[in-house]
Amino acid sequence: MITFIHSYLLLILFLWFQKVSTKIWAHILKFHNFVRSQIWCFGFKSYRKEPITMLVRCLRGVSRRACAQYSTVAEPIQKLDDFRTNEATVANHGLQHLGKYYRIEPEVKKQLFTYGGLPKSFEKQIKTFGETCLMVREPAVEVMHYIKSTDLSRPTVRYVLYGVDGAGKSLTMAHLLHFGLEQGFVLVHVPWVANWFKRPKETASSGSKEGFTDLPFDAASWLVHFKNQNASILPKLDLKVSKDYVWSIRETTPAGSTLLELIEHGIARVKFASDTVEALLHELKQHSTAGRCKTMVAIDGYNALFYPQTRILAENKVVVTPDKITLTKPFLDITKYDWTNGVCILSVDRIALNEERWESELPQYQLGKEGFEHVDPFVPIKVDNYNNKEFHSCINYYLNRRWIQNSAPGFDDELKYLSASNPFKLMNICAPL
Amino acid sequence: MTSALFKLRLLPPFRPLLLPPAQQMSMYQPTYIDPIFKKEQQQVLTETGEASNLAHIPIKSARNNDTCSVFHDNTVSKFTNYIMRKGNKILARELLEKTFENVKRIQLERYNLAEGDEKNKIETNPKVILHRAIANSRPILQLTPIKRGGVKYQVPIPITENRSLFLAMNWLIQAAKEKERKVHFPEKLAWELLEAASGQGRVIKRKQDLHRQCEANKAYAHYRWS
Repeated sequence: MITFIHSYLLLILFLWFQKVSTKIWAHILKFHNFVRSQIWCFGFKSYRKEPITMLVRCLRGVSRRACAQYSTVAEPIQKLDDFRTNEATVANHGLQHLGKYYRIEPEVKKQLFTYGGLPKSFEKQIKTFGETCLMVREPAVEVMHYIKSTDLSRPTVRYVLYGVDGAGKSLTMAHLLHFGLEQGFVLVHVPWVANWFKRPKETASSGSKEGFTDLPFDAASWLVHFKNQNASILPKLDLKVSKDYVWSIRETTPAGSTLLELIEHGIARVKFASDTVEALLHELKQHSTAGRCKTMVAIDGYNALFYPQTRILAENKVVVTPDKITLTKPFLDITKYDWTNGVCILSVDRIALNEERWESELPQYQLGKEGFEHVDPFVPIKVDNYNNKEFHSCINYYLNRRWIQNSAPGFDDELKYLSASNPFKLMNICAPL
Repeated sequence: MTSALFKLRLLPPFRPLLLPPAQQMSMYQPTYIDPIFKKEQQQVLTETGEASNLAHIPIKSARNNDTCSVFHDNTVSKFTNYIMRKGNKILARELLEKTFENVKRIQLERYNLAEGDEKNKIETNPKVILHRAIANSRPILQLTPIKRGGVKYQVPIPITENRSLFLAMNWLIQAAKEKERKVHFPEKLAWELLEAASGQGRVIKRKQDLHRQCEANKAYAHYRWS
C-alpha cells in the first residue's frame, strides 16, 4: 500500500514537471478523487487529511472551490440517501427528482387515503416500512407539468393512464392526488370503480328514476370519502347549492345552503345518497365553470363504467348493466369536456374487467367503442415498468427498509430478470428474501 | 490403478452386491458423481484445478431445484421438501415464501418500533431465523424401543446429524399444523419459527421433553449393546 502511495505521489510530481495542460489536470483530479474515495472505502484513516489533495492544490495553485468542483465525495453535513428527495412540495417535482422517493406526511395520507386510494398491498408495505414513500416517476411528473401549463379556462383535458398490471397506475394517481390537494383543487376521486359493480354492499331499486338501481351504501361511503378528502378546502371555498333539491315531502336542501350540508344530508340519509352524488357533481361542475373553484377528477378503473357486465342483479334476476346504475351517470357527466376549470385523470385497468377483456391494456381496447368515444379526445399517459435508474433506486430503497436482506453479489441482476422490472412483481419477489 | 481402469471405462462398472436400496434403484451407475451446481463451488474447483479432474467423470444431471440462484439455500430447499405433501412443491414453496414474508413483516415492525441499541438486537432476516429455529430445535438423543426379557424398554440412543435435522424440521411443521381452522399455515409457522429461534415455544419444549425422557431412562442405556 505504502509503495503504491509513493509511486502515486511521484506520478503527480512528474506530471507537474511535465507542465501538462489544465484540461488534463482536471482529468487527473477526477482520477485522484476516485482513488481517494476508494482508499476511504477501505477505511484508510491516515488519509483523512488528504495530503495528496493538498499537494495537488499547492502544485497547481488550484483554489479550494475548483477542487470541490471535481470532488466526488458527498458533503457530510446533510447526508440524505441518494434514492430519496427532500422536496416535499409535489408541484416542484421535476426531472431532477425522477426515480427518487419522497415522503408523504401522515396527516396528508390520512386526509387523502383513509377511505381508499392506495392499493391494499401498498398499505401493507406502509405498515411494514413505517413510512409512506412514493417514487417520483415520469408519468406523474409529465401530467403535473401539463396541468401546470394548462389554461384552465379551456374545456377540461382528460388524461388516461394505462399500462401493464402492477406498473404503478394507482400510485401515479395517488401522487397526482397529492399534487391536486396542494394546488387547491377540489378532489373528486373514485378509488376503484369496479368495487361498485363487483362487490356492492347493498342494492336497491332507485326511488327517483324508473328502472335504475341504487347502491346506497357505496354512494354514502363515497360521500364520506369526498368529504374527508376535501375537508380542508370546502369550508374555505364556501360553495352554495344553486337550486332546491327536494328529496321527499319533508326533506329538502334549499338553494343557498352549502355543499357540506348537501353532503351531510346524503351521508345521514343513505336512501338518497346516490341522488346526492349526482346533485353534488352537478353543482361542482357549475361552480368550476363559473370559476369559483377548480376541480380534479381522478377515477381509477374508469373502464369498468363501460363494461356491460356487473355482478348486480335486479329484482327480476336480470344482470344490471352499469348504465342502469344511478352512480354511473354523474361520473360520466363529470368526465365530459363541457365544463372548465377542471382536470380529469382517468386510469384504465385490465383487472377492472373480467378475464375475457384481458388481452390488451391499451385504452382503446379497454374502454371499448362507447368509452373511447366518450373520453375522446384525451391525452394517453403510459405508465411503464421501471427503467434502470428507477429499478436501482427501488432496490436501494428496499435495502434501506430491509425488505431485501440477502444481498449476495449479483442479486440485483437476478431480481431484474425475475421481475422484468415490474414494480409489483419486484415487491412480491423480494417478499421472502 | 484399478480405479483408473474403471474411470477410463476399460472395465465394466463394478457393482458391489450389497448396495443400499436407494442406490440399487438409482438410474445412475455408482461411478456417477453428484452435480456441483453452485457458481462459487465451481469457481473454487476451477481455481484449485480440481475441475480438470472432473472433466471426464460422468456426472448426474442436476435436479430441478438445484439452482445457481444467489438466493438458493440448501436448508430452505430441504425444509420446502418436508412441507411438501403429495408432491405439490409449488404449494410448498409458496407456503414457505409466505412464511418468510410474515416473519419479516413481524420483525420489521418490531425493528421500526425499537429505539437505539435495541434495534441491532432484532434479527430481521427470515432465513437466519429459520436456521436458528432449526438449530435450537435439534435433539441430541432419541428413544428407541428395545425388547429385553419380554419387556420393551425405551432406550436412549445417540442420533445422527441428518436424523436430528429431520426431527427439528418436522417438529416445526407439525407444531404449525396444530392450529385453528381459520389460522393460515404460513402465519402459524412464522410464529413457531420466531419462538423456536428465540429458544421458546412448543417445539423447544418437545425437544426438552425428549431429553428429559432420555435422562430418566438412562438406566436402560446399556440395553443398546447388551
